[in-house]
Amino acid sequence: MAALEINGLRKAFGGVIALGGVDLSIPDDRITGVVGPNGSGKTTLFNVITGVYPPTGGSITWHGEDISGRAPHQIARKGLVRTFQQAMSFPGLPVKENVQIALERGGRQLRGGEPRWHSPEELLDFVGLGGRGNDDAGSMPFGNLRRLGVAVALAANPVLLLLDEPAAGLSDGEASMLADLIIKLPGMGIGVCLIDHHMTFMTALCQRLIVLDFGTKIADGTTQSVLTDPKVMEVYLGGEL
Amino acid sequence: MTMEFLNLKMPMVRGGSHAKAGTDPHSPDRRIEQIVFAVALIVLVAALPSLNIGYRFLSIAITTGYTAIALYGLGLQFGQAGIMSVGHAAMLGIGAYTAAMLSNHLGIGFWAALPASIVLAAIAGGLVGLPSLRVSGQHYIIITFCFCALLVICLTNGGSFTGAATGLDVGSIPRVLGINFDKLFNYYYLVLGALAITLATTYAIMNSSYGRTLRAIRENEQLARAIGINVDMHKIGVFMASGAFAGLAGILQVYYLRHISPTLYGAFPSLYLALMVMLGGGRLLYGPLIGAIIVNFLPEVMDLNPVDSRIAYGVALLIVILLLPGGVSSGLLAIYRWVGGLLVRRGSKAGS
Amino acid sequence: MEILIQQLVNSLSVASVTILIGMGITLIFGLAGIVNFAHGEFLMIGGIATWFFVGMGLNFFVALVLAMVVVGALGFVAERGLFRFTLDRPMNGFIMSIGLSVILQHVVVRVFDEFQKSTPDPLNTVWVVGDVHIIAMRAVVVAITAVVVAITYFGISRSRYGLALRASVADQSTAELMGIPVRRYVTGVFVYGSILAGLGGALMIGLFPITPFVGSVIITRGFVVSLMGGLGNVNGAVLAGLVLGLVDGFSAGYGYPEWTDAYSLVIMIVILVVRPQGLLGGTLGPKAS
Repeated sequence: MAALEINGLRKAFGGVIALGGVDLSIPDDRITGVVGPNGSGKTTLFNVITGVYPPTGGSITWHGEDISGRAPHQIARKGLVRTFQQAMSFPGLPVKENVQIALERGGRQLRGGEPRWHSPEELLDFVGLGGRGNDDAGSMPFGNLRRLGVAVALAANPVLLLLDEPAAGLSDGEASMLADLIIKLPGMGIGVCLIDHHMTFMTALCQRLIVLDFGTKIADGTTQSVLTDPKVMEVYLGGEL
Repeated sequence: MTMEFLNLKMPMVRGGSHAKAGTDPHSPDRRIEQIVFAVALIVLVAALPSLNIGYRFLSIAITTGYTAIALYGLGLQFGQAGIMSVGHAAMLGIGAYTAAMLSNHLGIGFWAALPASIVLAAIAGGLVGLPSLRVSGQHYIIITFCFCALLVICLTNGGSFTGAATGLDVGSIPRVLGINFDKLFNYYYLVLGALAITLATTYAIMNSSYGRTLRAIRENEQLARAIGINVDMHKIGVFMASGAFAGLAGILQVYYLRHISPTLYGAFPSLYLALMVMLGGGRLLYGPLIGAIIVNFLPEVMDLNPVDSRIAYGVALLIVILLLPGGVSSGLLAIYRWVGGLLVRRGSKAGS
Repeated sequence: MEILIQQLVNSLSVASVTILIGMGITLIFGLAGIVNFAHGEFLMIGGIATWFFVGMGLNFFVALVLAMVVVGALGFVAERGLFRFTLDRPMNGFIMSIGLSVILQHVVVRVFDEFQKSTPDPLNTVWVVGDVHIIAMRAVVVAITAVVVAITYFGISRSRYGLALRASVADQSTAELMGIPVRRYVTGVFVYGSILAGLGGALMIGLFPITPFVGSVIITRGFVVSLMGGLGNVNGAVLAGLVLGLVDGFSAGYGYPEWTDAYSLVIMIVILVVRPQGLLGGTLGPKAS
């Protein structure tokens, strides 16, 4: 049984069904990718897992414990930490303080263990923002802001890190630098689950891909098998790959 | 056009001390600078009465002192956590009326009433804060205004229990160690002591992980939740802290004025509190104090009548919001840093 | 029965002023996204201006039109000079409007004085129908309000202007892409709402004396009406204004008048917490993009 088990998860907004009974199991020791066209329910999936919205039906189990309907901060404290596409940082505060806030919060989750990063500077060095600690987060260029978003989430001490389109808006160079960062995480004991459209980015990172379309899972398997799945080519890639 | 240009510059000014490069409040030299400044300020202010400044000046200083204490509460909730209130005078009123009612109905004096005033105002603060968990922005500000107006109606219609529209009287503060608080000097030092405690507490909160948590909530509530911060609990917490400061200010006010009535705690006093905190700036340590000093001393210094001085506050508020959203304190800080930078450059040039 | 009818007309005339202020707030808050705390002072200035022009020897209704022009101009200056700079920071705009309300009150006190002012009854006529005595001015106030409500309703819900306006509330950036001058519409709504406040003030001083501090009382009722009716919802504001006016009128006669204001405050808090967009369906104000 994987760390995160999702069974028959449904979410409806009024009459619109965003998730129509999704079953997923996501481990916390490797990188798993979730792909799908716009409006396929990817971000809703993250929002329901992390407690932003309560599910309409189904269950979410994290390390054997049912967490569906819990408040976002409670879920985060259990080690399920996410990033956002837009709301990446605390814009009015210095970069260092952004990370420090999350480190202080994440430090409280350590149960006798040694923290991965002892200071904001150490973590900023790790994500490639060394020396930027005193900059105003809100005035940073977009690429750095994405890195800061990842740094803040890492500081909160995740067991499984949920990345919502981390490469959106990045240049190819910036995206591959970010990929170099993400690929190190499983080795440090941090599982990753990421959503993105950027196929080269995803195939470089993920051993396994899950494909969503109209709120249901249409494929789940190794990256190679999914990419050659005719159903996936049909709905997601418009029949050509 | 000019305005838009200035608007673009806002984030820089807004950030105040915690946002600019090289102004990290935790670096040792900054800390020493801050402590030296605070000590100098306290010595200066404590020495004021011995300069023979007259009773009128002293009584304005007392008013400024307890107003500033209440403003520090509002400063925490607005400056740090980002939630404005235009009903803060109601919290002051809870503190003041708690003390006055304990004195009138149960014969309980200042020292025993002090903790009661603080605790009750803190509880009231938490209760008024509850709707902020659902409602935000302008909608929540309107709610704070309603609560304040409701309190005034309740106090006015409370019969002999609250003293109705005429209000309540209190006696003097019992002597401690032979100090007679009926003397204006001694009352001044009492308020000054309370203000020093308030400042120290605020400084400790602003520079603690708790202060950082509040700023995180102010800047991005969604992200704060996602990294495990219990946003709702901290919001109620900051409202309670805000209420506690106001309760302390309220009891100091009632024992200074000796008589209170509902209009002291209505919509207008609340608006002036909001105005003072905006004027001084809520994000920096000395912002609320500067706001209180400007508003209380300006009419005296410029010899304005009450009507003209209110017009002046209003105009000052508009100017501050349009041109200096961080308040006068952030403007002063920017000038100080600019002059400091200039001196350093001049010095290094001379040295080379 | 006669007393009931008289009380109904009286209550309706009071409700008219409430409706005018509530309609102005509902438009400015709901459609332009600005909470103007000084809206009550705009009404007060409408009343004081009417008093001033009548004092100069002008006919009441001429003075009323001039008062509307004065307050409309005030609204234009306030929007162009102040609120347009805070559209992306509505909280700052709100606080600024508090400063504006303090300024306006005290400027009026400074120019005139703080005492209450009144005009002689403009019509000075009492209509007698059977046993019912109706002060003509009160009926005229109700009639003028009815006409203004009808104009506003058709302006918002039927005209092309209204359609474009509602489109810009729903999605400001798309509306801009479609060539709708959203900025100018915000100004237009603000000025129109201000003119309504000017009219409300003029009608109010035709009914009762007012002081320079009447605005802070009336603003609360304006917010209650606009929130009960739903922000941006003209029909809702009219309905809420009627209900509130009637409840007020009758509770002053039969209930506990000293608690009258408390009712509206409690109603307002409950609505804001439970349904911030208002009871009868409205907007949450335009999304700043």
